Amino acid sequence: MIIFLKAGGQLRTLLKPDIDHYTRRVEIDGLKTVAEILEEIDVNPALVALIHVDGKLKDFSYKPSDGQTITLQPPVSGG
Amino acid sequence: MEIKRIKVVSSKCTGCRLCMQICAISHHEEINPRKTRLKIEAHFPEPGVYKPRVCTQCGKCLEVCPENAIYRREDGAFIVIPEKCTNCGECIAVCKPGVIFQHRDLDYVLICDNCFKCTELCNTGAITIHTRVVKEDK
Amino acid sequence: MIVQKYPGADGLAGTTLRINLTTGEIKSLPTDTRLMREWFGGRGAIAKIIYDEVPRDADPLGPKNLFIMSAGVMSGCFIPAGAKIGFGSVSPLTNGHGDSNMGGHLGPTLKFAGYDMVIMSGIAPKPSYLFIDDDVVELRDASQYWGMGSLECEPALKKDLGEDFEIATIGPAAENGILFSCITHDFGRQAGRTGQGAVMGSKKLKAIAVRGTGGIKVHDLAGLTEHVTAIIKRTQTHPNMEPWQKYGTAFFIDWSNKNAVIPTRNFQTTHYENIDGINGEALVEKCLITHKACFGCWMNCGKYTKAVIPGKKTVYLEGPEYETGALCGSNLGMTDINQVAYLNWLLDNVGMDTMSGGGVIAFGMECFQRGLITTDDLEGHTLNWGSVEDAEHFVDMIVNRRGIGDWFAGGTKRAAEKIGRDSIKFAMQVKGQEMSGYDGRHAPGMLLAYMTCDIGAHHNRAWTITVDMAEGRDTVEGRAKVVVYLQHIRPLFDCWCICRLFWGELDIEPEEIVESLNHITGWNIDTAEALKTSEKVWNLVRCHYLERNRANGRTFDYPPARSWEDKIPTGPSAGKGVSKEQVETMLDEYYACRGWDNDGNPSREVLHDLKLDFAADNLEKIGLLGKPLPDGIPAVRGERYKPKAF
Repeated sequence: MIIFLKAGGQLRTLLKPDIDHYTRRVEIDGLKTVAEILEEIDVNPALVALIHVDGKLKDFSYKPSDGQTITLQPPVSGG
Repeated sequence: MEIKRIKVVSSKCTGCRLCMQICAISHHEEINPRKTRLKIEAHFPEPGVYKPRVCTQCGKCLEVCPENAIYRREDGAFIVIPEKCTNCGECIAVCKPGVIFQHRDLDYVLICDNCFKCTELCNTGAITIHTRVVKEDK
Repeated sequence: MIVQKYPGADGLAGTTLRINLTTGEIKSLPTDTRLMREWFGGRGAIAKIIYDEVPRDADPLGPKNLFIMSAGVMSGCFIPAGAKIGFGSVSPLTNGHGDSNMGGHLGPTLKFAGYDMVIMSGIAPKPSYLFIDDDVVELRDASQYWGMGSLECEPALKKDLGEDFEIATIGPAAENGILFSCITHDFGRQAGRTGQGAVMGSKKLKAIAVRGTGGIKVHDLAGLTEHVTAIIKRTQTHPNMEPWQKYGTAFFIDWSNKNAVIPTRNFQTTHYENIDGINGEALVEKCLITHKACFGCWMNCGKYTKAVIPGKKTVYLEGPEYETGALCGSNLGMTDINQVAYLNWLLDNVGMDTMSGGGVIAFGMECFQRGLITTDDLEGHTLNWGSVEDAEHFVDMIVNRRGIGDWFAGGTKRAAEKIGRDSIKFAMQVKGQEMSGYDGRHAPGMLLAYMTCDIGAHHNRAWTITVDMAEGRDTVEGRAKVVVYLQHIRPLFDCWCICRLFWGELDIEPEEIVESLNHITGWNIDTAEALKTSEKVWNLVRCHYLERNRANGRTFDYPPARSWEDKIPTGPSAGKGVSKEQVETMLDEYYACRGWDNDGNPSREVLHDLKLDFAADNLEKIGLLGKPLPDGIPAVRGERYKPKAF
């Protein structure tokens, strides 16, 4: 199945978007966790601060379904 | 015919005032949020809400203007004719949302003219364009 | 009185005020455009003025120190997040140059009123506040506001003057000379670091109230409007925008914990078992009232909240943001976000920096844990981890300088000197300023960033946590050049008086920001020149520090011994930590990269390259000019970082 990963900032350079400036299309066989998907495409999970799907927070154990867009946010200092 | 105005969802406003800045820039070519045609009221520390105030197109200003310096355009906006306006302030006194403005540099009042530049930059959807279709009188 | 105003160069308001608080004399002068061009307003111009005008032996809390407020060259100029105002003076906390800035609406409003900078000297004979209403500038009696909390004083002044005044206040902490006092504005924005509030308090200046109705002229308004509008529209659909607007900086509390960098119980460990109670999700679910933005910012990281604790009055505040969440949360062993928010409000209202304040309370709690202070010292109270009651009582002792509260009024370093018994080992500060909300023991670049930060430990100047994660957390080699690069680019934002959060977060490149600057000022500079100017400011601040503290720079650049003596005891990074040798290696690399000698003193060659020959002469006179480097200085100091996998 196909899912879409989206990221900006420093994470974008690791993600290597191919569809548009921020989005990468990833093909996976069967249900996999976000952690497993990130490992497959060689993105260091330590650089992912937040996983956002359809406006809701998810964690690394979330298993995306076909066609879903997963937004990854990098950590940023502040406050 | 379409009547347009700004629609407000107060709970979405973050008080950034980008709307007021772009309003002044597009009308007066100046970075000066005081030359604005809408405003953000901030109610802090309690209850902690922002309230954008915009022209509701009630028409009271036109009714009271002693100089006939205001007319209503087809799209619903109330337009001030600077050459006729004497800055007397009668309209300000009757404007319920308080969105008719004066500035020391200007000799006429400022009322929203439906340019909607502000809605383009609002990033939270606190102000958007509201469109209503009305049957034309024949 | 009505002051004389001057037309401004592009991007500038035009007028600078010089106010002698002792005599009450208010002078208006044309803003020094050369100073603004060469030092980029804000932090840079402040650094130069303080270096030139404050005698090296002046007491930071005495009449000879200056207190400067500057809105820089970009604040208020329709640039995204162009909302900052900078404050600066010799810091009573670090005894070196100090600057701190805050967002909100004051910076732009000062420029709309017609002023780029306000330079204040002396000490007012009675509590006063500075009143600016376009051309009218007055020092007014503040007796009726003196003693009020920061958050109480702001609405009181708004009620008396008008809602459209923008107001900065100090609280009782600053009035009583607590060295880590902050300045508060817009119901929860703070210039917190380096004790700028304490300097303001020492000058008997309770508040600054500004109303401005003028405009700012820029070089190319059409070009600027097109450029900025394009940036705003482009980033409206950026993937980071929605989560950022929703959670702000507090979200990184969870991430910081997962990755074992969150300070826990005074930096004893880096992983906190009760994180779910105090993280960003808890904040949004339990406390959020409204999202809140600074002037002209479309990414609203501010979270306006209320804290409800049974038996206490409900309080309204902005935050907690990440730093407060860490330093007043896990670092104090708090278990519920309402506790953290309440402490945030408490410190804001008494007018203490929540970062140093959190650090100081945590240090007190660890002293209590170890029996170095007891209930006898605490007026019969305990000072236990996770107790809001205990923390509140301790803060009250500090603010009013009762008993040992007086020892802690100077921050952790001074408190440790009083307490003795090796407590300095876990006084988590560098140069007298408390660390931010990241433990550097398994993030060595971050540790180096604290060690070498020009104003004492602070994350803002170089934030390298993700670099540490990407490059390997157990190695230190090569980290220095990234720290130096970040120490150039990040403080640039403080010079320009704009926020830096949109840069890393929304892929807005430094070149685009420099383009905005050129539209505003017409200076036509490039990024390399901007970075070099920032490096010049950094070196001047270093020279200033050496001239005031009179010893080799290296001696000031060490973190507390916990940073290398104690391995992290628990969590994902259990057993990890840097060694003393690694600390020394990082310093060696860092100095070489900066063109400083191995004692940490800037060499004449690098100071000459930065047109700071006058500072080289001054260092030479006191024997602290760096020795020439054997291989000369690097042509470019610092290296722009690109993630490894790219």
